[in-house]
Amino acid sequence: MTISRPDTIAARSDLHIADLATESIVIFDQDGRVRYWNPASEALYGWPSLTMIDQNIDAITKRNGEEPMHWPLLLQEGVWRGRVRRRHVSGASIIADIRQYVRFHADGSAGEVIEYGRRAPSGEESDRDDWNIPDRLMAASWEIDMSAARSLIEAHATEGSPPEALAIDIVTALRVIDVNERTARLVGGNRGRAVMIGQSVAKFWPIESRAILGELVIEAVAAGVPGHTVKRQLASDGILRDPIVTLWLGDKPDRIFVAVNGTADDDRSYLYLRASEARYRKLIHYMPTALLQVDASHMGRIYAQIKSSGVEDFGRYLDDHPELLDLANETVTVTDVNRRAVDMFGGDNALDLAGPVGFLFAANRATLKNVMVGRFNGQPSHSELTKVRTFDGRILDVQLSVTYPIPPRELDVTIFSIQDVTAQLQIEAQLRQLQADFTHAARISTLGELTTSIAHEVNQPLAAILTNAETSLRWLSKDDPDLAKVAQLTTRIVAGAQRANGIVQRIRGMATKHQPERTKLDINEVAQEALMFLRHEIETRDIRIATTFAHRLPKVTGDRIQLQQVIVNLLLNAIQAMTAAQSADCAIAIATTTDGNGGLSFSIRDSGPGIPATDIDRIFEGFFTTKEGGLGIGLGICQSIIMGHGGLIHALNHPEGGAEFRFNLPSASSN
Amino acid sequence: MSRVPAVAIVDDDEAIREALEDLMVVEGFDCQAFDGAAAFLADYDRTHFDCLITDVRMPGMSGIELLEYLRSLGSRLPVIVLTSVIDEQSRARSLALGAKAWLTKPAAENVLLGELRRAI
Repeated sequence: MTISRPDTIAARSDLHIADLATESIVIFDQDGRVRYWNPASEALYGWPSLTMIDQNIDAITKRNGEEPMHWPLLLQEGVWRGRVRRRHVSGASIIADIRQYVRFHADGSAGEVIEYGRRAPSGEESDRDDWNIPDRLMAASWEIDMSAARSLIEAHATEGSPPEALAIDIVTALRVIDVNERTARLVGGNRGRAVMIGQSVAKFWPIESRAILGELVIEAVAAGVPGHTVKRQLASDGILRDPIVTLWLGDKPDRIFVAVNGTADDDRSYLYLRASEARYRKLIHYMPTALLQVDASHMGRIYAQIKSSGVEDFGRYLDDHPELLDLANETVTVTDVNRRAVDMFGGDNALDLAGPVGFLFAANRATLKNVMVGRFNGQPSHSELTKVRTFDGRILDVQLSVTYPIPPRELDVTIFSIQDVTAQLQIEAQLRQLQADFTHAARISTLGELTTSIAHEVNQPLAAILTNAETSLRWLSKDDPDLAKVAQLTTRIVAGAQRANGIVQRIRGMATKHQPERTKLDINEVAQEALMFLRHEIETRDIRIATTFAHRLPKVTGDRIQLQQVIVNLLLNAIQAMTAAQSADCAIAIATTTDGNGGLSFSIRDSGPGIPATDIDRIFEGFFTTKEGGLGIGLGICQSIIMGHGGLIHALNHPEGGAEFRFNLPSASSN
Repeated sequence: MSRVPAVAIVDDDEAIREALEDLMVVEGFDCQAFDGAAAFLADYDRTHFDCLITDVRMPGMSGIELLEYLRSLGSRLPVIVLTSVIDEQSRARSLALGAKAWLTKPAAENVLLGELRRAI
């Protein structure tokens, strides 16, 4: 009788309680074939569940004379109690007290048989509880197809101990048919059972003991008896302590079972591990960041090959071999995702995201390249701002972070975390716009304060132009016009017009609303332009300007108009402070220096009354002003502009009198 | 009166100085320009001028301060103020100090020359 798979699942679904029972619980079909074998049965008899399912219990049971009547009696009576002798996986005999019950269907027909069993007390060895150390006893079990290894095995069947290389070749040719959950958890990484099935056993079996496994296969085949076990103690491998590997042939041709027993190399018990794993999974699952677990193990091997061929600049190599990007897109697979990832991509469930990673890089192939280069170069992680396309076609701005597996682990798990920053970027853009508007308003306000000065500035060249033109006409109306003089006057008219134009351009630069644009700037030039702006204010108020501009200052990356605005504001504040105080000797000292951190420092000091002690902490606050009619946005704007350029601004009173403002900016090369 | 009238110009702006100087010359005046009150006063004792055209806002001494200083010396030199300052108080002060005219830049040459001729 064959048992269909859905049936098995149905049988299992209500049996998770039995998984935790300390008594051996076995379920048989009517022919005595094992349908369910709980962990306590594994512990009692040594045979893993995986290898017992579908087996007839008679294969490990030694019956005495009256035994043939046992099964018919059971089916007839519905219950059987007694003592049986069974073969432990180690080859020893186990005597067990068992109780068997028949489960009857609603129509009265007999269904499956349920057996409860425990070790029979013998001699001084009382009813010892083996269940307290289940981890030592429970097996990681494998069902293996050796058909591909058959020719290799037979080639050496006649010889003695096989060479190591052959044993390893045999293991490579073995294919996984099935493994139990414990095996998947111990050696399958997080990829799970399903990923192991169909693969070579060598992919998961620790390198150090592959030869031993191969030898055991040859030994078992040589013995040729299904159910006959061969075993070997292995060296601790970091996964299990003092593991014992047991191997035997199954009933079907080319079928091998392997059980590995040992203590998990972790002090925590199996149940504790399971609980912590469950907690961990829950944590990951409900994390507000999208997480994707990716298996790129085969790419790691390809990278190692490329590296050994002498390639150093992998970025350029990928430019020449775009097919490698396609290969990664198609063969690197997403093996697990959390809820947030499903939501972010607009999937219905995790299965929508499982499979090739290509969809992650559909909106930005350059990101895939960066991720691959990061792994190739052995970085622990890589992070970048990029875009992803969701299943319903939306484009999201995301911060993508990749954590690479640590070499030389064989368990190859790469974790992608994806944070949706679309809304954040929008808010930042709005904030930038608002700040630009505000900064512009502050400039207009400054220009307002300078109206008289500006009018005067423009008037001067205009007056000169008019007078020169008038004079020119007067010369031309004479009987003997002095043409050389007329030419000179006309030249002056041109010069005057250019001068007026220069002033208008400067004002327009300040008045025009523009998006800040970053260029490399010489702060000394910016300061000189700011001084031009206030030339008239400075001259008519008889203010002495002392400048100490450092040579070979590093350039800064910034917006010319904004930095000019800062310096104009600071200059204007100084001028107004000194004028308001009617200082007898008005002087402003401007200096630029390097700041010791590779950046530069700008300072402006006046000879005014200084900043009142009560105001000095509030001076950069928005809308703080001591000026009559002042808006109080000037210094606030200065601070936000300087901070926006990666610098800091301070106000202080100079020990020898007067206020001093000082700001620093990072050099263009450092940002 | 055979002597050519001499006009002094005080303005901190070079372009204005040059333009006015040439205008004076083409109109047949003798003319000397100074870049500020201090330069004018340094020459004041040695040269005779028939009229002074001065700007108001200048570094150092302003045009009005210059006028005040001249009056304090007892000078009756005719003075024309030519400025871009639009300030009623400064204008009243200048006229009270006996300035012949208060003209705002840019001033029409006819008006300037007219005031100049009247002043001399």
